[in-house]
Amino acid sequence: MPRRELLLEDADTRDLTKLAGYEAIGGYASLRKALDMERQAVLAELLDANVRGRGGAGFPMGRKASFLPHPDDTPKPIYLVANADESEPGTFKDREILLRVPHLFVEGVVIAAYTIGSGHAFIYLRGEYLAEFEVVTAALEEARAAGYLGKNVLGSGWDLTVVVHRGAGAYICGEETGLLESLEGRRGQPRTKPPFPAISGLYASPTLINNVETLATVPKILELGGKKYARIGVENSAGTRVFSLSGNVVNGGNYELELGTTLRELIDEIGGGIPDGRELKAIIPGGSSVPVLTAAEVDTPLDFDSMAQAGTMLGSGAVIVIDDRCCMVQLGLRVAQFYMHESCGKCTPCREGTRWMVQLLRKIEEGEATQGELDVLLNVCDRILGNCLCPLGDAAAMPVASYVAKFRDEFQRHIDEGACPFGGESSLAGVLAPVDQHDAHLRSQIEVPGIRAERESLTEAHG
Amino acid sequence: MVRVTIDGQEVLAPKGQGLVETAASVGIEIPVFCYEPRLGPPVGACRMCLCEVEGLPKLQAACTLTATDGLVLRTARTSEQAAGGQSAILEFILLNHPLDCPDCDKGGECPLQDLTFRFGPGSTRMQFPKRTFDKPIPISPLIALDRERCILCYRCTRFSESVSEDGQLVAANRGAQSIIATFEDEPYRAHFSGNVLELCPVGALTSTTYRFRARPWEIQNVPTVCGLCPVGCNVWATTREGKVARILSRNHPEVHEGWLCDKGRFAYDHLRAEDRLRTPLVRVRRRGFEEASHEAALDAAEAGLRAAGSSVVVAFSGGETVEQATALARIVREGLGSDAALLPDDWDAALDAFRAPLSAIRDADVCLILGDDPVVERAPVVDLWLRAARRAEAEVIAVNPAGDVQAAPGSAAQVCADLREGKKVPTELRETAKSLKSAKRVALVWSEDDPTGGRHVGALANELHENGRAEVAVYVLPRTPNGRGVATAWYTVGEGRSDPPGEGEIGALVVSGDEAASDPRVADLAARASFVLTTAMFQSELTAWSHVVLPGTSYLEREGTYVNLEGRPQRLRRAVVPFGPDELEWLAQLAERFGVAIDPWAAPTAAEQADLPPADEFAWSRPDPQAPPGKPAGPGLELVRIGALFSGAAVERIPQLQFQRPAAEVELAHEDASTRGIAPGEAVVVTSNGTSRELRAGLNRKLRVGVVRIPAEHAKDFGDRVQVSRLSTGESR
Amino acid sequence: MSPQPFDSLKGFAVTFRQMFKKPITQQYPEYKRPVYPRFRGRHRLWRHENGLEKCVGCSLCAAACPADCIRVVAAENTPGNRVSPGERYARIYEINLSRCIFCGYCELACPFDAITLEAEFEISEYSRDDLIYTKDMLLAEPVKRMPVADRDLYDTPTPVWKAES
Repeated sequence: MPRRELLLEDADTRDLTKLAGYEAIGGYASLRKALDMERQAVLAELLDANVRGRGGAGFPMGRKASFLPHPDDTPKPIYLVANADESEPGTFKDREILLRVPHLFVEGVVIAAYTIGSGHAFIYLRGEYLAEFEVVTAALEEARAAGYLGKNVLGSGWDLTVVVHRGAGAYICGEETGLLESLEGRRGQPRTKPPFPAISGLYASPTLINNVETLATVPKILELGGKKYARIGVENSAGTRVFSLSGNVVNGGNYELELGTTLRELIDEIGGGIPDGRELKAIIPGGSSVPVLTAAEVDTPLDFDSMAQAGTMLGSGAVIVIDDRCCMVQLGLRVAQFYMHESCGKCTPCREGTRWMVQLLRKIEEGEATQGELDVLLNVCDRILGNCLCPLGDAAAMPVASYVAKFRDEFQRHIDEGACPFGGESSLAGVLAPVDQHDAHLRSQIEVPGIRAERESLTEAHG
Repeated sequence: MVRVTIDGQEVLAPKGQGLVETAASVGIEIPVFCYEPRLGPPVGACRMCLCEVEGLPKLQAACTLTATDGLVLRTARTSEQAAGGQSAILEFILLNHPLDCPDCDKGGECPLQDLTFRFGPGSTRMQFPKRTFDKPIPISPLIALDRERCILCYRCTRFSESVSEDGQLVAANRGAQSIIATFEDEPYRAHFSGNVLELCPVGALTSTTYRFRARPWEIQNVPTVCGLCPVGCNVWATTREGKVARILSRNHPEVHEGWLCDKGRFAYDHLRAEDRLRTPLVRVRRRGFEEASHEAALDAAEAGLRAAGSSVVVAFSGGETVEQATALARIVREGLGSDAALLPDDWDAALDAFRAPLSAIRDADVCLILGDDPVVERAPVVDLWLRAARRAEAEVIAVNPAGDVQAAPGSAAQVCADLREGKKVPTELRETAKSLKSAKRVALVWSEDDPTGGRHVGALANELHENGRAEVAVYVLPRTPNGRGVATAWYTVGEGRSDPPGEGEIGALVVSGDEAASDPRVADLAARASFVLTTAMFQSELTAWSHVVLPGTSYLEREGTYVNLEGRPQRLRRAVVPFGPDELEWLAQLAERFGVAIDPWAAPTAAEQADLPPADEFAWSRPDPQAPPGKPAGPGLELVRIGALFSGAAVERIPQLQFQRPAAEVELAHEDASTRGIAPGEAVVVTSNGTSRELRAGLNRKLRVGVVRIPAEHAKDFGDRVQVSRLSTGESR
Repeated sequence: MSPQPFDSLKGFAVTFRQMFKKPITQQYPEYKRPVYPRFRGRHRLWRHENGLEKCVGCSLCAAACPADCIRVVAAENTPGNRVSPGERYARIYEINLSRCIFCGYCELACPFDAITLEAEFEISEYSRDDLIYTKDMLLAEPVKRMPVADRDLYDTPTPVWKAES
């Protein structure tokens, strides 16, 4: 499919971080158009566009927005939250958008806030994105000075306050209810749904939460018209997406493509293929939370339905390419370590299960595992799946289960040979996870007379 | 009502009822750990309650679901998927759970043990090292935390955050390294910390006073009522081999909703204090006290009382049961012909027109708190109800020197009079008056001593009821646990007659109980009395002055009735046998000698939880009382004495509660402190009435200027006004 | 011929023959027959090799006992006074042997093999109070040793966990 850029259009040739540059290519025209329309009409355009969420879940944005009550039907304030807590491993598309087309994103925020009748928008930005924070706040300031947000937006009589909140380094705060808890100043642990954020979200009020890319698409939808946008891409996966290509590939980076482009096109033609003459072995198509695809499945198109049919998910659109020099067990271990480190600890299966998975995978990688322990690993993944409070548990169990399912022979070789067959030569060897660098045992500093803290445990003394 | 099907059984349930309760109503158990309706909406954190819901592919946490029409639920009993899910959750919990059962105090009454037995795997597949922590860690002298055993159900942190609202118990770190900790690693110092011991489903939070004392199969639980404050929380007294080993709560949804304060929970060991009086003592001339037999002591008492004629005064402590108070009243009135008494709490029976259960506070629209004593120190659980009311979006207004409306000390009665005015309300009370006017349900809480027995607040309640058409509930907080019951008994026996003690010589003084023995007014009376008969549990200055001392018993050793601040008569049950005959028994014997016939036992009753008789048949019929004149102004600052919860003979004898004793502090308003150059925490000298004391200064932003607050036990001998100055300069102002 | 007196004489003959046969009566107490290895006699509390008592005072033996004859009161180990490994030890441990039915449930219930029923059965006393055995009595070596039959002859091999614990 041809390369078609919507969001990143003109970003290479012009400086779109400044308001002047953005307005020169017709920026904020969509906002003016939206303010002239009724809120319902804007919502109708979004519904027609059939744009699906770009954060990872892929829920149609228009439908999500329609769940919110009309401002007249609720005494509570309505909030818009932009999820800029991009933490899915392999994903770096939102930072591209924030760094290069921040005004497109800001315009999307304002239009979306107008659509749902919100007077307060929050941007929850990943704490580690320092440069992006500078750029976005500068863009917001420019927009406010020009009257695109703040009091009496463009003379419409409607006020919008935008707050940028920086996260503090937790992947779980990218989950929508975890984000809301963190925004409210509490521990970033997800809530049960129902009630859904559309009914009871931020401060128990109706809230719409969308990913940065989803919001950045809104001005383009209004520019083209919803129905025309829907014709881009393929059936049920409308529009373009910014795919983050990384891993064992020559030209890694962010590429905006129409949905329906195949993986082969992305990896070979645009990405330049595998370097050093190595062979493609596996592809993770949507961030580390999705099941892996083998090299044989490289012709799968990048759209929601095709990926689902292939047994995986389009997820966050982060394509990680793995060549034949990478040990899949090491990859599984590294991925499991991430989820163990990022688990919030609220629900039992994720908290305990991810830790157990890491212990089992480490034993397999070191060659010490028995056959039974491989079965235990699969059973653990099975027992985590579906039983957790939020999708993080599934995001840990599904990929690892897919590595075992599709690369079983490699796991078997570890067990049979009593060591990693790559012998330390795998491309992941020596790559440390943060969890290996922390020593998180907390020692109490309370001194209270009357109780003696025991230091010997029963098992220790038994010998 | 909606129709729900659980395990094939059709159940009719109220719409919106939690499914765990719906299942329990037909005898089906859904296992839970983190689910506790008293802590707020369910969180679905532990995933123990996973059940199959028809129409949904994944298992759902049943505790987060409510009864809706047509819901079909299958629990582990009928669904293999649910049974597998629940077994998986238990396996995950046990993965890092230490093999501590023989050591752990929770063993035998542990939900984790029980649920593993019923729903869990039979063996373990875990062969890796479990995560370990230093253990046990004392998070306060009362509570030990064992982080390895913790299953992170978050019940304790939710209690600390949203019931007692002290925010001291928090979760720290993330994921598998999550731990429960105290805020900034400070000791957990709060009035309600002990409730987390009962909330914790495993042995992670254990009581240090009960540590290793008994196993669940070695104990007996006696259902009784706490007798340390006028709320009267229902408790279980756990006894082993004839001694009280701990106190647990027995949920009465209207009185305390299952919460206990730390005093009631941990002060039980005062029964075994070393300086407890065990035998009667009789003063012999020139030889001091001698131990005497019961008969000999009663003989001496009879002799002393007869010699006094009808010049007898009785000082009640407010800790007597109704039966005891009645007996003593009858002896004094009928047997000795005197109507003179010193009552610790007066009570006007007309207030019964506004009686309501404590749980009605939560349903109020406006709660008005009057009186200088903080509610949490006087009747702690009432403070929890007020917090619950605020969370339920009621307006809670405290009118006192450190409240939302900063009133002058001792002005509660005047405030009531002002609020009755309607049009001419003083400025600072206008908001309050407006809120009261528009409220449909009002709760009035009176939190200080009132010699009129509550007439001021009763008049206000009457006004609001008549003119505002509001439903009004009045809660007058007595100072003593059964102050209300004692006063009622005294008036009932004497048909309303009562004389004050009077000046001049007294023939005989009968001092009943430790609280009366430590009352300075009673000491005054004793100085003027020719014969003093005292009942007390512990030695004190007053017992040293007495002529006959009979050993007293604790509320845990008596059978009788206590009337709590609502007016609810509750039955105390004897948990352990005292050293000798209890008060009712020897009062009956004494009474016989004066020709009064009294039953030496309380009438039997089978009720486990008492109901509150309704208020319908009462009507307010008192003239509006005059507010007492304000105190004269003078030099220095006005002193407000705070009666602290953690004070009294019982608390003083528990080593683990000493950290809760009121600090030797004087609370100042910011302006007063800055004009005197006093910084927070600085040592200051407080002078009054010829005495001076060194205290530490604390600053309170909400305290009214010109007022200081000092715990009563550090303000002995002070007058109404004090001078405060820095220790170094010595200039008093 | 009538059966009598021949039948009676036959019976007497049996009796007379038995008179001269060696009796199989074992002369207790001069000869004490060895008890089987799993014989349930008097209880014994054990120590680890390092001298710490195995019993942690968990009271599971008291819970299991059908005759309710064990009394355990636990206390906390302190750094100055460590009696057992772990957090607690049995400060008071009493067994009322007049109530005990020697069923061995306490031995089965103990998680640490702290209490076993050994071979001693000569425990008569003159007063019932003397039959209440306290912890020191139970920890001590038995005064008299009962002979125990050869384990290899009469018992299945001792499992590893029991022999080496």
